[in-house]
Amino acid sequence: MAKEMIAMILAGGRGSRLYALTDKLAKPAVPFGGKYRIIDFPLSNCVNSDIDTVGILTQYQPLLLNEYIGNGQPWDLDRLYGGVHVLQPYEQASGSDWYKGTANAIYQNIGFIDRYDPKYVIILSGDQICKQDYADFLRFHKEKNAEFSVAVMEVPWSEAPRFGLMVTDENDRISEFQEKPKNPKSNLASMGIYIFNWDVLKKYLTEDEADPTSDNDFGKNVIPALLRDNRRMFAYRFDGYWKDVGTISSLWQANMEVLDPNNSGINLFDENWKIYSRNSGQPCQKIGSDATIVNSMITEGCKINGTVKHSILFPGVVVEKGATVDGAVVMGGTVIKAGATVTHCIVAENVTIEEGATVGKMPEGGMNIEEPGEVATVGSGVKIGKGATVTANAMIREDVKDGEVQ
Amino acid sequence: MTSNNGNALGVIFANTYDNLVPELVTERSMASIPFGGRYRMIDFVLSNMANAGVDNISIIVRRNYHSLMDHLGSGREWDLTRKRGGLNIVPPFADRGVKLYAGRVDALDSILSWLEAQKEQYVILSDAFTAMNFDFAKLVATHAASGADVTMVYNRGEIPEGARNDNYTIKIDNGRVVELLSNDYRPGVHNLSLNIYVIERESLIQLVRDAAVRGMIYFERDILARNLSLLNVQAYEFEGYVSRITDMKSYFDENMRLLEDGSMEQLFDSGNPIYTKIRDDNPTRYLDGSAVKNSVVADGCVIEGVVENCVLFRGCQVKPGSVVKNSVLMQDTVVESGCDVEYVVTDKNVHITQDKKLTGTDTFPVFVAKGHTV
Repeated sequence: MAKEMIAMILAGGRGSRLYALTDKLAKPAVPFGGKYRIIDFPLSNCVNSDIDTVGILTQYQPLLLNEYIGNGQPWDLDRLYGGVHVLQPYEQASGSDWYKGTANAIYQNIGFIDRYDPKYVIILSGDQICKQDYADFLRFHKEKNAEFSVAVMEVPWSEAPRFGLMVTDENDRISEFQEKPKNPKSNLASMGIYIFNWDVLKKYLTEDEADPTSDNDFGKNVIPALLRDNRRMFAYRFDGYWKDVGTISSLWQANMEVLDPNNSGINLFDENWKIYSRNSGQPCQKIGSDATIVNSMITEGCKINGTVKHSILFPGVVVEKGATVDGAVVMGGTVIKAGATVTHCIVAENVTIEEGATVGKMPEGGMNIEEPGEVATVGSGVKIGKGATVTANAMIREDVKDGEVQ
Repeated sequence: MTSNNGNALGVIFANTYDNLVPELVTERSMASIPFGGRYRMIDFVLSNMANAGVDNISIIVRRNYHSLMDHLGSGREWDLTRKRGGLNIVPPFADRGVKLYAGRVDALDSILSWLEAQKEQYVILSDAFTAMNFDFAKLVATHAASGADVTMVYNRGEIPEGARNDNYTIKIDNGRVVELLSNDYRPGVHNLSLNIYVIERESLIQLVRDAAVRGMIYFERDILARNLSLLNVQAYEFEGYVSRITDMKSYFDENMRLLEDGSMEQLFDSGNPIYTKIRDDNPTRYLDGSAVKNSVVADGCVIEGVVENCVLFRGCQVKPGSVVKNSVLMQDTVVESGCDVEYVVTDKNVHITQDKKLTGTDTFPVFVAKGHTV
């Protein structure tokens, strides 16, 4: 039985601009928003849009991502026919290769897609925080009788040169594609989310693969080739929340925006559009008698007896009496001991911050979500010694000894 | 069988002591009473069994089992969706009118053919009125090593007020149970049965069959107590953290006891997790104006008011200007602004409208039934 549309999530990126956070795990597996990982967003969007077949393309540090996805049950993607599949590069009779580019990653999995004989394929990105109804996107694609559609966001003209831009006519038909141009002709930025008619995509992937000079990339090669051939290409305007969390400051920023759903537009408390995740299985959070909590999000397994302000705490975080956490994103299993101060930073999983240590620093003039400034980062499993100091722009990958300043 | 499997199967009685908490079981069973912010009573025994490798479990239900069925689903959350074994829910059998079980023997009699067809050497029998983190593997190993006919689990404590007419106490001589009393009334500390038994599957079948033909219905009174000289019944003391639900007050007290230092650690941090049905709630939000002290809070709550000494289940909301103290709010309870709530237990989906004052006492908490609006 054919599927109308299946999804392919490009999750191969190493996320090198997240530095210590992606030393041991792929970017889509990076924790976000208190109890989620980035990949939960495209996956939940898929099930909420009634897409029940998803391929996740990955090749960097796949262990944790594989384990996290498992059989897909937390997203209701454990299906007899379809479901979620993690697709890694593999050896073939013709040889073996890593995924050379985004287009090549899909090309290498033509066999997977063909099994479901879909009419449409939606290509998603595994490193964005976005709540989007792909069914509505598909409706647009069908209405326009398109062969290719791309989701776009209006961005301020001043920022337009940072993006891949779609120049469109009054019917939203795309006439030109500008990749990070000096002189933008449009302010419609590509979100890297595409719907293709599968027969068209397959043809172009095969041609692209045959071209030895190609980078095998959607933005650089495939989309320009479609334009050259004057294919029916349309831009679908999306005006919801969308954020590429590819850098430390944008990841911090997006987390902080979760605390302020009314202004930021990212509302995780939407019963009609739930974001699913694999559950930590921990008991309730315990708030102690000495705790002070201001404008924060705290989840299962946390034990709080200190002060927590404007922060997001992931499962099993311990904040001891006399410790202060302010403007921080603290990932699962991290322990913050008595008298420690953790400010304006991202602390990865299973970190121990010993008594009296100082991590990060509030910028002059206080916290500003729009202009974050310096965000200190501590990699997973690290120990910050007693009385040690981690400076405002530090990137910590190894233990910091007692009293040391890094 | 390898040691991955406890070489025991489980039989859980979901409705035992329903009569002690009538307010809480109008639409559910003892096993599905919410407890500790995000659990149902059965989660404890079920998770303990699953953690011990016991993955073939029958749950005997008698009445009001819809909420329990909904909670258990296919047993996935406890890793009990198994091709071999897994979860087996046994409702009363409709045979010329629905036959309700009168006692344990009656209930076991109705699953005799299932018991006969299984392969595990031992059977663990348990009720679902206790919350504890219990090692069933150790219990079965101790039982097997002792050569006893039956091993029963107890802890030391006074007879709870609510269990005056529903308790078993035992007298022990050198590890062996020499006396088993029903509904003991004496004051002081006793060996109180936790209603957990291990017995060889073959002997259980024989005992039940013999008792059933004689019209006996109670396992403890009719089988064990009468035959203590013939049967070697060993006592196994559990010294860990135990919550017993024996009436509304104990329900309130045991939830409140979770707030004491070390309670959560004792019940949950043994390395053996307690599993429950996943609701995919968001983390809890503490908004401006909130002040939360000494409380156990589940995910999905939005707190804008003052919360002290409370257990908040999943999805509760406390609006600005409200003060909630010494209370247990079950899931999706909403306290609108300007309320003053103290010593209250709200069941699921209770709505306390603006500016209400609701006050019980520590010995007599006010109870608001499921779905009610105050």
